[in-house]
Amino acid sequence: MKKKYTFGWDQGVSVFLVLTVVVGGFISEYFATIDNISFVIQDVAEIAIIALAMTYLIIAGEIDLSVASILSLTSATVGFLFRNGTSFEVAIVGGLLVGLLCGLLNGYLVTVIGLPSLAVTIGTLALFRGLCYALLGNEPVNELPENWIVLGYENIPGTFLPWSAIPLAILAAIAWIVLHYTRIGRWTFAIGINPEAAKFSGIPVARMKLGLFAMTGLMSGVAGVVYTLRFASASPDGAVGYELSVIAAVLFGGVAIAGGIGTLWGVLAAVLSLGAIRSVLQLIDFSANALLVVSGALLLISVVAPKAIEIYQSRRNSAFVTK
Amino acid sequence: MKTLVKKVFRVRELPVFLALVIVVIITGTANPEFFTLSGFQDVTLGVAVVATLAVAQTLVIVMKHIDLSVGSTIGFSAYLIGDASSQGHGFWYCMGLGLALGLTVGTVNGFMVAYLRLPSLVVTLGTLYIVRGLFNEVAGGNTITEDMVPGPINFMGLNTFFGIPYLFLVAFLLMLVVGFVMRRTRSARDLYAIGSNLLAAELGGIPVARRVFLAFLATGAVSGLAGAVLLARFNTAAANSGNGLELSVVAACVVGGVAIAGGVGTVYGAVIGAILLQAITMALGALGIPQFWQLAVNGTLLIAAISLDRYLSTRVKPTSIMGAK
Amino acid sequence: MIKKLAKVVAAAAIVGALVATAVTPASAVVPGIKSGLKIAIMPKAVNIGYFTAWNKGAQKACKEIGAKCTYVGPTEATGPAQVQFINKIIQQKYDVLVISAADQNAIVPSLKKAKAAGITVVTSDADVAEASASSRVVSILPAASSRIGTAQVDWIAEAVGKKGSIAVLSAAATAANQNAWIKAMGPYLTKKYPKMSWVGGTVGKSTFYGDDDATKSTAQFAAILSQYPDVAGIISPTTVGVLAAAIEKKAKSAKVKVTGLGLPSQMAPYIEDGTVKKVGLWNPIDLGYVAVYAAARAESGTFTGKVGTSFKAGTTTYKVTTGGVAFLGDPFTFTKENIKTFKKIY
Repeated sequence: MKKKYTFGWDQGVSVFLVLTVVVGGFISEYFATIDNISFVIQDVAEIAIIALAMTYLIIAGEIDLSVASILSLTSATVGFLFRNGTSFEVAIVGGLLVGLLCGLLNGYLVTVIGLPSLAVTIGTLALFRGLCYALLGNEPVNELPENWIVLGYENIPGTFLPWSAIPLAILAAIAWIVLHYTRIGRWTFAIGINPEAAKFSGIPVARMKLGLFAMTGLMSGVAGVVYTLRFASASPDGAVGYELSVIAAVLFGGVAIAGGIGTLWGVLAAVLSLGAIRSVLQLIDFSANALLVVSGALLLISVVAPKAIEIYQSRRNSAFVTK
Repeated sequence: MKTLVKKVFRVRELPVFLALVIVVIITGTANPEFFTLSGFQDVTLGVAVVATLAVAQTLVIVMKHIDLSVGSTIGFSAYLIGDASSQGHGFWYCMGLGLALGLTVGTVNGFMVAYLRLPSLVVTLGTLYIVRGLFNEVAGGNTITEDMVPGPINFMGLNTFFGIPYLFLVAFLLMLVVGFVMRRTRSARDLYAIGSNLLAAELGGIPVARRVFLAFLATGAVSGLAGAVLLARFNTAAANSGNGLELSVVAACVVGGVAIAGGVGTVYGAVIGAILLQAITMALGALGIPQFWQLAVNGTLLIAAISLDRYLSTRVKPTSIMGAK
Repeated sequence: MIKKLAKVVAAAAIVGALVATAVTPASAVVPGIKSGLKIAIMPKAVNIGYFTAWNKGAQKACKEIGAKCTYVGPTEATGPAQVQFINKIIQQKYDVLVISAADQNAIVPSLKKAKAAGITVVTSDADVAEASASSRVVSILPAASSRIGTAQVDWIAEAVGKKGSIAVLSAAATAANQNAWIKAMGPYLTKKYPKMSWVGGTVGKSTFYGDDDATKSTAQFAAILSQYPDVAGIISPTTVGVLAAAIEKKAKSAKVKVTGLGLPSQMAPYIEDGTVKKVGLWNPIDLGYVAVYAAARAESGTFTGKVGTSFKAGTTTYKVTTGGVAFLGDPFTFTKENIKTFKKIY
């Protein structure tokens, strides 16, 4: 049923990113400045890190709506441990561990109990968020160690890149290589295209999915640490609603919600271009309300455009080839 | 076909209904206030909005689709109804406005999903943002207050019919009507066929695109009209009205046995699911669970309810977010 | 493809030009304030009635001092959402930022950046955390937290006849203002009204969170009544909460007394029909007005924001007290007698 496009939407998004940056630079003198580019990267870092993992998950035909709650729970854990006297380094490790455990729980519920991921992660979304409140109550944690929080808002000395660009770049490189050049990547696609066939061809479907959920949890945890540093605090209500931003970015990057299709650089280009376009629109004084409309319109374009290309190409082909 | 649907109906709603009975008994024993008329009214009134939307959402989910735009639509509609009324327009004009909004959103969703064959999750996520953005632009910082609410809507929100809140009756009647239609009419039963096996449905001669379009149109229409229910319930509306409601609605459907995988579930289950979730939320307070733990317990029980349904039903094991392909 | 995208971008640019309505600076000048300042007024979130009124006062001040003021902010009242708009303010080289902090910690690093970029930052309505006070020049708050907290206890005591148990219906659990006010309520009730008590034993265990959301606030109001059927009074120190409480009290014909902080324009129907006897609130218009004056004077170098210094806004002089905070004065109270006048103002 699925067709292969000669001009994929992931390429379209890359073009879109370049266009946004170029046009943005022309229509707003404030956009293409070093400060602003640094900010845009910083601003999308958490979403981008989670999106790397979510790309795998959606390609494999699953979804995780609890990622923002995991991010926040990691942050809350870091704050909670630090407030109760552990060193900040240990608190970070503790937070990452909690992120991994959350992912494992999601994976367990989906692969072992056999629940649909869309439904079950609505449940864990509430559970993990609830645990944030259970940990911190109504007292956010601030006054984190200064030598750590400068990493949250300063640039790497001598560059225009924020410190969060480092984990993002490393994780993106790994995620890209694994998805497109290794067996695990091929298995991920195979599971998404047809899980039954994948199973019969010897792919450990359940174990793969469990691993993908665990990885999504861990990456949400990494995003949680970045988030904690960037906002120099831990609060139980952090990152509310980020899950929809992550999913919107992944889908905008050309990953098919039905599974089996997508590229990692499409998603990265999507995250960056969404951040860039938001920045451009803000800098040319779009209202926040208009920004909501634009986000929705971009999502629709991301599914309508490939469809239009498909129809256009099949028409052109049929002019030459008689079927 | 008829006996099959009947059988499905009998089995599917049982687990969630039992869970509801258990929750009510436990809570009522611990806190007799729960058993009083006012306890009953709290739950039924509290569930009216989600139950109404869950009935509409069932139409979409059984086709293995989803409509995430309902929260934005119902909120915008509630605001428009109040706003039009405050400008002196009559009740039916206001309702017409709400319906028109719902039909517009439903048409956009339906056209893109049914005729362009685009994934409903993406399309309705897009319209969720667009409708919310337009709503915010129109509403700005204005708040609809009780004196702007049309008389009949205000009356429905504040009064009961022999102890039963009118708003719950609205949801209940909607459930009965849609439930009847889904059991008795050919075209509504087609929705199950589309959800359980799209290819077979197409080959079997079902006009799939038209059915899908109409189902989204109906969901939009109900969401638009339900703006009146939201307005009646809270007697106020502002730019954030209905925010996040879509996930509660989907959760109610899933808990009520309307499988995300498509092809199974009824509106009765969806409404019972909504009541169960509402009862659980109210029970946590009544049982004295500390404030800061309630959300965590609520999430755990939601997962438990979904798991229970999975164990007690004979559904096929889902293999993707929307179930097996 | 590219043509299509270009069209989209072009259309977006045109819409953007329409959306960006320029405010022409008035010619009036106030001594001690530079004219033509570029000022950003940032609420916790746009589309909230309270902040619309707050902005009204800010715009009035801007007109008087000949500044160019822009009302800008996110649609969701969260720190991260505000941070994106603070970046915009920094990039566009505004002179002054007047902000109501949606998160007392999360926006601090961004405020420090704004300060480093030479922007004069003044918080108004909601301040940053005490430990981060150096990230802004001064904070313009309605009244001392203790005053706002204890005043509401007095109102509810009056309503319930100084006896019975009471509860609090607050905003979000992390709302810093509300938490500070509620903290002040606890010891005051015990000391001043010995015949009154908290439904849950302590004020902390008697506080319910409605998240400034009508749906959730209504549900929490119902939860209080079902958990504590003999509750005598409910204080809701937030405009969304107290409105929801009033509506629900009327709907259920509940005996519980309700008071709190509410906008007179929204509360009018319930005060007029006697559902609620009294609510209070400072004038958000004044709050925005004073904040703009403080910020403009600080930017012009005629006001330092140091403890003990003072500044003039309109005809009134305000003094900076401990913590770098200036207070507007005690909240007004609204009753049947005066609601008709106030509901037209804010």
